[in-house]
Amino acid sequence: MRLHPRSFYVSLLMAALAHVQPALAADAELDALDLESAPEASTPAAASNTKVFVEGAWGNAAQRYAPASRAFGRASLDLSYAGKLTPDVRAVFSDRLDYMDPAEAGSDATVNSLREAYVSWQPAGGNNLYELGRINLRYGPAFGYNPTDFFRDGSLRTLTSSNPFAMRENRLGSVMLRGQRLWQGGSLSVAYSPKLEDRASPSGWDLDLGATNNRNRGLVALSTQFSQKLSSQLLLYKEQGESAAVGANMTALLSDAAVAHAEWSNASQVDPVSRALAVPGAATRRNRFAGGVTYTTLGKLSVTAEYQYNGFGASQQDWAALSAAPMSAKVAYLIDARARQELVSRQALMLYVTQKDLFIKDLDLTAFVRFNTEDHSRQSWLELRQHWPKYDLALQWQQFSGKSDSEYGILPYSRIVQVLGNYYF
Amino acid sequence: MKTLTSLLLPLFFFAASAASAAPTANSILAASDAIRNPGGAFSVTVTLTEFQAGKQVDASTLTSYSRTQSNGQFASLVQFVLPARDAGKLMLKNGNDMWFYDPLSKASVRLSPQQRLLGQASNGDVATVNLAKDYTAALAGEEEVQDGERKLRKAHKLALTAANPDVTYASIEMWVDAENSRPIKARFFAESSRLLKTAYYRRYQPQLGAERPTETVIIDGLDPKSVTIMRFSDYAARSIPETWMQRDFLPRFQPE
Repeated sequence: MRLHPRSFYVSLLMAALAHVQPALAADAELDALDLESAPEASTPAAASNTKVFVEGAWGNAAQRYAPASRAFGRASLDLSYAGKLTPDVRAVFSDRLDYMDPAEAGSDATVNSLREAYVSWQPAGGNNLYELGRINLRYGPAFGYNPTDFFRDGSLRTLTSSNPFAMRENRLGSVMLRGQRLWQGGSLSVAYSPKLEDRASPSGWDLDLGATNNRNRGLVALSTQFSQKLSSQLLLYKEQGESAAVGANMTALLSDAAVAHAEWSNASQVDPVSRALAVPGAATRRNRFAGGVTYTTLGKLSVTAEYQYNGFGASQQDWAALSAAPMSAKVAYLIDARARQELVSRQALMLYVTQKDLFIKDLDLTAFVRFNTEDHSRQSWLELRQHWPKYDLALQWQQFSGKSDSEYGILPYSRIVQVLGNYYF
Repeated sequence: MKTLTSLLLPLFFFAASAASAAPTANSILAASDAIRNPGGAFSVTVTLTEFQAGKQVDASTLTSYSRTQSNGQFASLVQFVLPARDAGKLMLKNGNDMWFYDPLSKASVRLSPQQRLLGQASNGDVATVNLAKDYTAALAGEEEVQDGERKLRKAHKLALTAANPDVTYASIEMWVDAENSRPIKARFFAESSRLLKTAYYRRYQPQLGAERPTETVIIDGLDPKSVTIMRFSDYAARSIPETWMQRDFLPRFQPE
């Protein structure tokens, strides 16, 4: 067999490399042993009880119903504290101040949101907990729509981001008395939230108890961990003047890289489309559901696909009826759905993607698409965020696409671009 | 015949007693686990310094609260301290029950082992996880190996294979000091036999009643120029109830 000279040299090179590579790796290992840890004095031993950051945003929105685009800005101060008053008593306080220019229609330019203020008593550090005050009680593992998050209604005072995870950061808690018992692999929680005000307040400095405590409400939640790979929550919710609602959610580890989530609730209420159309209607019992899978690669890419269903959301026929009615009916329906954090359409799909360390270290990409399967309109959102030890800089882009009478096509803005900066103290 | 028996019998007993005195691979592993991990519930502050090609590119701090559950499962609750952006966020690992919790959004997100592997908290597993429970050890020889302070040590080389398919690393090679059972070095492999991490345990100091490694140097398997040094300080025995190691307790977690 005649060996081509080039093949011979390539083989020789490969053999040499095969020999050299482990040696190089071994050298790199030994080099690593010369490195020294960061100096001890520069690092605190425990997380601070107080967390403060400021956020600034400046952007531009393309308007559908006006020829010119519109510039906007926002400055926010975010403060949270959680600390022990005594060995058994813990206090939690969380507040956010937003200044928006221009102000949202019907709102003050400066809006203060007291998200949480409560005390928690855990006798002798044991398995019973009692809490009183304004508590942000959130349930549901789904990304874009949470049918078992029964206290979501009216909880968003300001909307500073469309990202569902960021939206939750602005959410108001409800004033409640809550008790919880923990045991190995589960817990039972009972919460009662009384009526304190009649309606939400547009005043920027109001505690806005009317947004979260405008009726008497109660929730019982039983959490069970069936195995290390499967856990669930069963929920029973009752509010004044309505039949009880039931719900369940679960998360499951499918493989080394995949996690599944699902949540379902069943409630009886008057169809919100009939309400918007001012058509008399009796309460009916219907289902809500969200379920999806998250897959993560070793390349730091996470992709979540989620299916969402709202039995009370607008079907194609409902949407046609709303389109045939005066514009105010559709606007009323959309505003009501937004306030309740409800799915506008009967069915929707969501794709949520995060890529950590995109091209360079600490540059994160987050993007999602919400797709209304009834009218085929969609919302696309993308963020590039660079982290530094004390601050972040982000560029956000979002587009609302669809026919002029569709869920996303009807919105006043077609595209929003903004730059955000955060500084953490 | 009697002479032969009298000659062989003591030899047999000597061999038998020598065999029982020789430590088994699993007992060597358990002894080295006990050095890395104080028994009982404890907390430790972990400072992570990341290097790329010898230059420091990042530093972060977290506090780990750990205990062994009644089923023998080693569980840890990690609270981020620095950078300020992540302060207060929590990561729970109780076997494959893994959760990330952000106090600002109140979101508890179940993590897959692969998701957790991408974060710095997974480096904590390399340093503190109880290997004897999840792996079967076999003695793969006696070797002289360079330790984290570049000194040559006589070591037992152990080959660890996962006894439970749910563990993060499919197999591990581990070098344990033959003199005192101190872990010296370990190589962590994926199921595909790909080297994921190499760890050197060094800077032994008295902590919670024993000489324990206070630094672990972790070298990325794919990119050996990517190095993380974990420094362990402020070891403290803690009362950590078993019921804290679950998703439902994360919103209520408040260390002293």
